[in-house]
Amino acid sequence: MTSVTSLAELDLKTVEEFLFHEARLLDEKKWQKWDGLFTTDGTYWMPASVDQPDPLNYVSLIYEDKLLRAVRIERFDNENAHSLQPIPRSVHLVSNVMIDAYDAVSGTCTVNSRFVVFEYRRDEQRIYGGAYIHDLIFDGTDFKIKQKRVNLVNCESALDNINVYL
Amino acid sequence: MSQANTIDIEPLLHKDEVHRKVYTDPDIFDLEMERLWHRTWIYVGHESQVKNPGDYFATTIGRQPVILVRHKDDKIHVLYNRCAHKGAQLVGDTSGCVKAFRCCYHGWRFDTDGALLTIPLEGGYDNTGFCRDNPDTNVKKVPRYDSYRGFVFASLSAKGPDLKTWLGGVASSIDNMVDRAPDGELEVTGGVLRYTHDSNWKFFVENLNDLMHAIVTHQSSSQTARIVAKRVMDEKDEVPWAVEIFSPFTNRYSFFEEMGLHAFEYGHSYSGGKVSIHSAYSDIPGYVEALESAYGKEKTLDIFSENRHNTVFYPSATIKGPIQTMRVVKPLAVDKTVIESWTFRLKGAPEAMTQRSILYCTLINSSANLVGPDDYESYHRLQYGLQSEANDWVSMHRHMDQEIVNADGTIEAEGTNDIVFRNQFKAWKQYMSAEDA
Repeated sequence: MTSVTSLAELDLKTVEEFLFHEARLLDEKKWQKWDGLFTTDGTYWMPASVDQPDPLNYVSLIYEDKLLRAVRIERFDNENAHSLQPIPRSVHLVSNVMIDAYDAVSGTCTVNSRFVVFEYRRDEQRIYGGAYIHDLIFDGTDFKIKQKRVNLVNCESALDNINVYL
Repeated sequence: MSQANTIDIEPLLHKDEVHRKVYTDPDIFDLEMERLWHRTWIYVGHESQVKNPGDYFATTIGRQPVILVRHKDDKIHVLYNRCAHKGAQLVGDTSGCVKAFRCCYHGWRFDTDGALLTIPLEGGYDNTGFCRDNPDTNVKKVPRYDSYRGFVFASLSAKGPDLKTWLGGVASSIDNMVDRAPDGELEVTGGVLRYTHDSNWKFFVENLNDLMHAIVTHQSSSQTARIVAKRVMDEKDEVPWAVEIFSPFTNRYSFFEEMGLHAFEYGHSYSGGKVSIHSAYSDIPGYVEALESAYGKEKTLDIFSENRHNTVFYPSATIKGPIQTMRVVKPLAVDKTVIESWTFRLKGAPEAMTQRSILYCTLINSSANLVGPDDYESYHRLQYGLQSEANDWVSMHRHMDQEIVNADGTIEAEGTNDIVFRNQFKAWKQYMSAEDA
């Protein structure tokens, strides 16, 4: 196992590959594997305003821990989840990946990237854009997601259903 | 005369069914804007959104852009968001604080009560009839506005009942929500969620007290939450708030039947009373104590003895007192509606109370939540299903004539009675049939 002690040593390509892998799991509907990328206390957060300081004192579009992700993931395969019938498809594009910070002590790195997501369901295609901020824990070989923050560029606007994880 | 004015309302309603056109015809929507939304009391905003002089909140009443603003004498006004000069919107964003409104176009300045302050090169208006002694050079106030315990409503009609009379039996739902604050006041907090629906506004408003739908529509979220919680939690674990929030959506039919309905003049209603889907939330440490020390044990018990589900202030707003959230209806077109969701902080209560309300809003009301999209899917299918010529009539027959009409005209019924819809359409017809405001 290699030990990374500074930002300079953290390979951008490795980080990018992780983000691409994560995005691909979502597009391929491998929800359980995707959920497995999170730490036990890892959270998925899509704020309702772009500078939102926290998910507890402000409303969010999504703020999910492991339990809530499990509910959402089970709904994808639930024929009574009428809003997901037919099941939506997605394509995630991730780019402009930059490592903003790395803390060797906690093994946490903060990765900033940009995304475009196409969602398709029942004759309708929706396009979402924004920034991801991933707080990743790096143990020298693998990454785990401590938090994935999705800053949707138009998060304050009146939005129709968002049926997929962005 | 617009197309809308030639619509004959009488044939659109039977006592137990409503014509599908009421949800799908753009001309009927136009007439609704004119005769219902531009005449009755419409919720505008909460006083806490404009705490200080100069604070404003821009919103709409039906199709009219308006500004809720606090003047320097602390009085709150509702102004048309239109410059008195050439008509540009005075404010272009949703909220802020100003010393005065200055139009972005020709720089006319107005005080926060709408009074004209300055006109650049004002002499150009000498002897034109449009100088400052003409009241039309002030920003116009909407004909009527008033507030009830912090909730500001306005009417674009000078006629009609006053706010307190109009609220009638649903004022008590506001009372109960405000009384839940140990300091006796609410405050808007935590931002707003805005959710677009490609469906008629009435589907949303009817759904609020449609207690027959939850078990079916929310099975996939509520039941799944129960199952997942069972799987991942130990018996000794505290039930997470999220599970407490999701679970009651799939309580037994008998629970919803027993929740009961109350309906009132002008189309108002609430469901729940002694119990609701919000009754079984866990206690938050320090809250009951705070309330008891503010009001005493007896009044505290009295406050908690009411646990209402949705209260509808027909047609524009709905609150959930026990979890302190509010949804505001913004109809944009016959098949387009935006629902705004707001959260309130109970002043003097532990912060955890606010955090649970915030969680509720995120879990139930956001565009990406796990419950609302299945409601919305039903509205969407209604909007398209009612294009069908298979039957022109939409049923509201359930428990017809089984409701109890009290001596004061208020109505009580079992939870699954369609009386809420019949009562809404009774008010709808009165507004829609009246040619004069």
